[in-house]
Amino acid sequence: MIVGIKDVFKLVGVIIVVFCAIFVCTFFLNFYIDAKSLELVLNDEELLALHRAQMATAKFTCAISGGVLMLIALVMLVFYIKLYIDSHAKQLGILKAMGYTEREIALRFSVFGISVFFGCAAGFGCGFAIMPLIYSQMSNGLPEITIGFHPSVLVLFVILPTLIFSAFACVYAFFALRSPANELLRGKPEKLSKKPLKVSEKERGFLKEMCIKTLSSKKSLAFFVAFACFCFAAMIQMAVSMYKLSTKTMGIIIFAIGAVLAVTSILMAITSLVNGNSKNIAIMKAYGYSTKECALAVLRGYHFFALLGFAVGTVYQYVLLSVMINIVFKDVGAVPEYSFNVSVFFITLAVFIVFYEAVMLLYSFRINKISLKQVMEEN
Amino acid sequence: MICVKDLVKTYKGGAVKVLKGISLDICDGEFVVITGASGSGKSTLMNVLSGLEKPDSGSIVYDGDNISEMNEQQLTVFRRKKVGFIFQHYYLLSNLNVIQNVKMGADLTGNKDYNEIIEKVGLTAKCKNRISELSGGEQQRVSIARALAKKPNYLFLDEPTGALDESTGRNVLDYIVRLQRENGFTMILVTHNLNIAEMADTVIKMNSGEICVRYKNTTKKSAYEIGW
Repeated sequence: MIVGIKDVFKLVGVIIVVFCAIFVCTFFLNFYIDAKSLELVLNDEELLALHRAQMATAKFTCAISGGVLMLIALVMLVFYIKLYIDSHAKQLGILKAMGYTEREIALRFSVFGISVFFGCAAGFGCGFAIMPLIYSQMSNGLPEITIGFHPSVLVLFVILPTLIFSAFACVYAFFALRSPANELLRGKPEKLSKKPLKVSEKERGFLKEMCIKTLSSKKSLAFFVAFACFCFAAMIQMAVSMYKLSTKTMGIIIFAIGAVLAVTSILMAITSLVNGNSKNIAIMKAYGYSTKECALAVLRGYHFFALLGFAVGTVYQYVLLSVMINIVFKDVGAVPEYSFNVSVFFITLAVFIVFYEAVMLLYSFRINKISLKQVMEEN
Repeated sequence: MICVKDLVKTYKGGAVKVLKGISLDICDGEFVVITGASGSGKSTLMNVLSGLEKPDSGSIVYDGDNISEMNEQQLTVFRRKKVGFIFQHYYLLSNLNVIQNVKMGADLTGNKDYNEIIEKVGLTAKCKNRISELSGGEQQRVSIARALAKKPNYLFLDEPTGALDESTGRNVLDYIVRLQRENGFTMILVTHNLNIAEMADTVIKMNSGEICVRYKNTTKKSAYEIGW
């Protein structure tokens, strides 16, 4: 039967994103619950303001970071399932032709929820492990806060996401599998385009055409490339600011999460892009297109989204930190001034360009290894 | 002129010997059919001759250039300048339309007259259609146009009619042979269909990685005269 336990480990991207989300949420929500009662015992106005600001930070970060990352994980899950159905269309078509219903096949996709469980459990465990350090730094100036274990946090961050993601995987797969068996076996007929070719389109070279078509047929990947670069720009710049504004630990955590999310998303996007185009690349190579030309034809269209992600990430981190400092921490004394750090921006941009080009180079090597023989053998 | 000498190709670290010292000469403008049973090594011979794969030993000399000594980059340039391919499964770029697929070949040699080739293969009316909207025969004609658009000196065909019905297969073969005569390129066609051999100038029969029979046809038949 299709979709086995071994497929769970293919969802590395989902596992990592879920891990990051739950890791951050666990220590912030736990801190929020444990420190909430302090409000009743604090008499000093300044300490009360600091406590309220920290409560707001915990709530705000938990909701925004957790929510956004879980949403990204959900999009990734959809993307993986779609990719899985596309690459196993023939096997799924045979099952449907033999009489298996969509419901029976779709139920097997609940296995993907196990990936989410792994990410949640690891994130929850690590979040708990780092809690003593976070508590000691966040309660700086406040009375000591005891770490408490709250089963509700475990249910909210481990059990509930596993169940929700499993159910979502089944529902999505059910709808995605509604194509007739014949269509799955023979491939979906492409939509007819009745639009006449524009003059500029006629004059475009093959490589440019290929680049545009690849981009238009894999739009979702543009989102992941932009997201990767968004994470890189936002989290790395934010990490440097947090290093000065908050604590070294927070700076390191944000830096690590940013780097992990950026690397995971971009590798996932480019891997599926190259895998999905391996047949086209092999034909182009057989015809005499160089590896560089093949890489450009497939990857060039995504450069704009990479830069867009970087720009949005830079603006996002600036706005977020400005809001935190000027609104949330406005009543708290001794908070350093925050302004846009131009030198950090340029350093991050330089590192980003090196990182992005390194990824492109890595995939050029991978493209170099694609051979027509391998593609022919798959047919 | 292609001069092949003592060509050896093995797989699995030498455990499977697919080509066992092949030697042959192919003249410019010649139409050669390589035939043989499945597993005889005919497709491997085509892959090695066209520079898609490197041989373990032996030499393949194209007009003085030994491609068996070339590295991957040099082989890419060689294929770019001199070779065209037509495959059994067409291997067209399904996300592009007919013109865009033909441009893939044309752009490599800066050929701007690809519309003429599209016209020659009878696809002008469908030049804006996507590949999925075409029949098998039409797709193979796009593949022919793509190969010819780069004006190759050497055209390699791997079972070009293998996925087509008899009538379409005959039409496609007729097209190819006519275009070869008009353009004068060297054509090497690999097939298990012995009838197609009757159309060629030279026939090479392979068995277990060796050439067992090689002969020239005194009279050549057209695509409509051969059996199927």
